[in-house]
Amino acid sequence: MNTRRASAVNRRTLLAGVGASAVAAAVPLRRGLAASTLKVGVLLPRSGPQAQLGIECQIGADLALPILKTEGYPDLEFMLGDTETKVDVARAQCEKLIDAGAHAIIGCFDSGQTMAAAQVCEQKNVPLVVNIAAVPKLTELGYKWVFRNFPTGPMIVGDAFKNQKRLFGATGATPKTVALLHVNDTFGSSLAGALFALTPKFKMPYKIVEKIPYDPYGRDFSAEVRKVKAAKPDALWTVSRLNDAIAITKELVRQRVELMGILSTGPGWYDNAYLKATGKFGDDVVNLIPWYDENKPMTQKLKAAFAKAHPDLLMTTNQSFSFDAVLIAADAFKRAESTKNTALQTALRQTDITNNVTLGKGIRFNEKGQVPYVPCGAVQNRGGKHVVLLPQEAATGKPIWPMRPWRER
Amino acid sequence: MIRPGDLVRPLSPAGVWLGALVLLVLLLLPYWGGSYVMTVATTVFYLALVGQSWNLMLGFAGLLSIGHALFVGIGAYTSAYLFTAIGLPPVIGVLPAIALAVLMGLLMGYLGFRFAIGGVYFALLTIAFAELVRIVIDHVSWLGATEGFFLQVSEADRHGIDLVNLRGAPEMYYYLIMALALGALVLCRYLLRSRLGYYWQAIRDDESAAEALGVDVLRYKMYAVAISSGMAGVAGVFYAFYQNSLFPEIVFNIERSIEATLGSIVGGVGTLFGPIFGTFILTPLGEIVTEAIDLLKHWHVIDPETKLDGLKLLVWSFIVVLIVLFKPNGLWPWVCEKLRLIRPGEER
Repeated sequence: MNTRRASAVNRRTLLAGVGASAVAAAVPLRRGLAASTLKVGVLLPRSGPQAQLGIECQIGADLALPILKTEGYPDLEFMLGDTETKVDVARAQCEKLIDAGAHAIIGCFDSGQTMAAAQVCEQKNVPLVVNIAAVPKLTELGYKWVFRNFPTGPMIVGDAFKNQKRLFGATGATPKTVALLHVNDTFGSSLAGALFALTPKFKMPYKIVEKIPYDPYGRDFSAEVRKVKAAKPDALWTVSRLNDAIAITKELVRQRVELMGILSTGPGWYDNAYLKATGKFGDDVVNLIPWYDENKPMTQKLKAAFAKAHPDLLMTTNQSFSFDAVLIAADAFKRAESTKNTALQTALRQTDITNNVTLGKGIRFNEKGQVPYVPCGAVQNRGGKHVVLLPQEAATGKPIWPMRPWRER
Repeated sequence: MIRPGDLVRPLSPAGVWLGALVLLVLLLLPYWGGSYVMTVATTVFYLALVGQSWNLMLGFAGLLSIGHALFVGIGAYTSAYLFTAIGLPPVIGVLPAIALAVLMGLLMGYLGFRFAIGGVYFALLTIAFAELVRIVIDHVSWLGATEGFFLQVSEADRHGIDLVNLRGAPEMYYYLIMALALGALVLCRYLLRSRLGYYWQAIRDDESAAEALGVDVLRYKMYAVAISSGMAGVAGVFYAFYQNSLFPEIVFNIERSIEATLGSIVGGVGTLFGPIFGTFILTPLGEIVTEAIDLLKHWHVIDPETKLDGLKLLVWSFIVVLIVLFKPNGLWPWVCEKLRLIRPGEER
């Protein structure tokens, strides 16, 4: 009797399971479209710890569609995927997007997630246009379907040193001592470690007198700032994230730590939330980061569209590189005149875009699928806005260096 | 020794039929599911394998670990490094990977048990070890440090079957991890029915009483840690050659450790099939929520422009909370009872 009862339930369970599977399997089919539209899977962290950053990237991608249409580029349709800030989800979502008919993938903001998506794209022979991911190996493993217009880690570090020298040379104010204050997580410690180790190699005019790591979950930075004060450096170089950048700034003001300047490599110090939270005390910080070129016509269009759609926000790295990734895909599709993978791959290899958004002379991939040099800029916070100081050809203002004392603001 | 009949004997006739049907569906999954479903199923079996190893420690021996990603990571890095540096195929590299994972487990276990660190404090010790190893690897340049460690994959490697070098089509990885997860189930059943298993259960239920009865508590706890960490090490080898990229912050992240526990908690801690069942509930549940949201948007029940990113996690978490609240012993024992899948007196 027990067996019969179980068997009856089994049949129902089976039917329900088969029905559910059929629905789940059929869902991707509804997205089918004519081949005149390039279906682009936009794979980003939309939930989880990197959700805000993924959403910022999506804004750049969304703004690209109407702008590129007016520029004569063909239609693109986005299919959205959420990595949930996880590597294995990035892989599964990439599979899902491709199964659902994506002709190309854009993403994924984070190196680990992008590597996972790259595995799938190589397996399926689908182009992956990387918007943001700095790990050098991504374009050094012989991948044939991965294309990246973003500086690698060594490019970012190298440009940080070069732009500092240019800044000191242009202003005539050179710090002799620097304290390096960095968040003690994988990102912060690796970047700070590279900066510390390479300072002598780049023959910098200063000495790093103190290297101060801090807890990534810390809220009170009085001890760290006191260490900075005790070291009496001319300038402070930081590798931070958002909340710590805000707290450190407030603590520097509270302890009246007067410096020649604050340099930042990495996020935090240029973010909208930082500028709002710190007000005039966030001014004069110099960010050494990948950025956009305001003098390019495409950038002006993007900035105008961004200002209209998000009047309370300032455009940053995330939107600009995501915009360029969409531009790269649209440009390849326009020239390929086909959604066929090999045609897109060939077109991507022959990419030669000069009217893009990000810094540099344009977008051309080498045989590895990497833009050989994506310059980074020196961007100063001023009056709640960003002023590009370097490179010279993209500059929108002169530097304020040394920075103004706290009490004179 | 385990005889084939031993695996089926605990099942009722209904259990046998349902089990056979599920197995058939899973075996044919690459033919009906497509690559996305297969990727999700591969993840499910991988988590089930790690969950089974975690369950062996907590469910069988009463040792709470929240740092199981440590053993997975050690297995992953060891096999990947040996493959890259000296060309040692993973089929052999799995042995040093297991050895190192076990060694780390024994070191951690000895420190913990020798100094009578138990319960939550032992769990903290496991987290501390995982963090310690992560920080060490963050600074080891020949393991890629924070920049990550990568395995080269050629075009030819992405097709066919090469079980020696763990290179091949996604189907190969799917069947391999399925076999490993089911192998872990068989091993756990064998262990649970052995003298070792009975000692573990005695220690889990009342350590002092077990000791008073002559059970060498330290030794048998060490056995539990060793076997569990070895199993997780095997999972790590699979992870390395499936993902082909290892980042310390991702591999050793506490989130990975917690992921390993969730399937077992939902399925039923201490049960044999609970970790697999729980993972099969949890992972697809998230995907079903995503699909349901997509369908609601498609049918315009929800405005298609509405951004609902993260809702999946919210719904998923809510359902997990409900399961834990109303079925604290896990879903598998309840399902077994309702469907009478297991013969009375047999382990679930």
